[in-house]
Amino acid sequence: MSAAETNEAATETKSKVSDFELAQGSAAGDREAFEQLYHRHFRRVYALCLRMTTNPSTAEDLTQEVFIHLFNKIGSFRGDSAFTTWLHRMTVNHVLMYFRKSSTRSELLTKEGETPVQIVRGTENQDKMPIVDRIALEKAISELPPGYRSVFILHDVEGYEHEEIGRMLGCSTGTSKSQLHKARLKLRDLIRRQAAQN
Amino acid sequence: MDCEESLPLLSEYHAGALDESTREGVREHLGCCPPCDGVYRDVETIIVSASSLREEESISFPDETAVWQRIQFS
Repeated sequence: MSAAETNEAATETKSKVSDFELAQGSAAGDREAFEQLYHRHFRRVYALCLRMTTNPSTAEDLTQEVFIHLFNKIGSFRGDSAFTTWLHRMTVNHVLMYFRKSSTRSELLTKEGETPVQIVRGTENQDKMPIVDRIALEKAISELPPGYRSVFILHDVEGYEHEEIGRMLGCSTGTSKSQLHKARLKLRDLIRRQAAQN
Repeated sequence: MDCEESLPLLSEYHAGALDESTREGVREHLGCCPPCDGVYRDVETIIVSASSLREEESISFPDETAVWQRIQFS
């Protein structure tokens, strides 16, 4: 077997090792197993941190912290859920914790009336909203108040149910639903304004 | 149902979470109120567009190895 074939075989063997096995290995002190987990999940964790914070530098710092936290907690993963689900939840909780600690994001929920949503319904402007490209949507999301943004990202982007969002944010299901609706209307307003400026 | 009543219900209407009579009230209102129907269509567009943000292709990722090295030294 050539060196290339040997490497290929080793890679294939590595890829066959499950996340659960790597987690067990990591918990037993196998740093190489943890490094494999890191490389498998780095992009997913960073992308989630970036979506929630909309700041690349903050997302990078939080990603680093999530993996340090993961290293310390890996022994508690019992395999009851998929590792990706478990790590995803851990990442969300870590970012929410960051929001709680951050002085500029002292509110996890946006207070009612803090950002009144102006709904453009005039008959003079019945055209459909301009096609929402990714950049326009990301820019609008970054301008949402943090509370609205958290609920919007968790529900509409990450796919969490309101019950789970309520548990994570410490609010009722009704509040989560209300904040989501206001977030969507606020986004609509922001996207229309962006389009009007261009 | 009028605009003031139906607008706060549009997300729940989209989710199919309203009871039958409320859902019918919103549906009827949207059918005869183009401005509110426009808001609903926009909300639909936002919901569909949001799901595409989970794709990672357009993200510029930081240096994975550099982050790993910082983790090791922590």
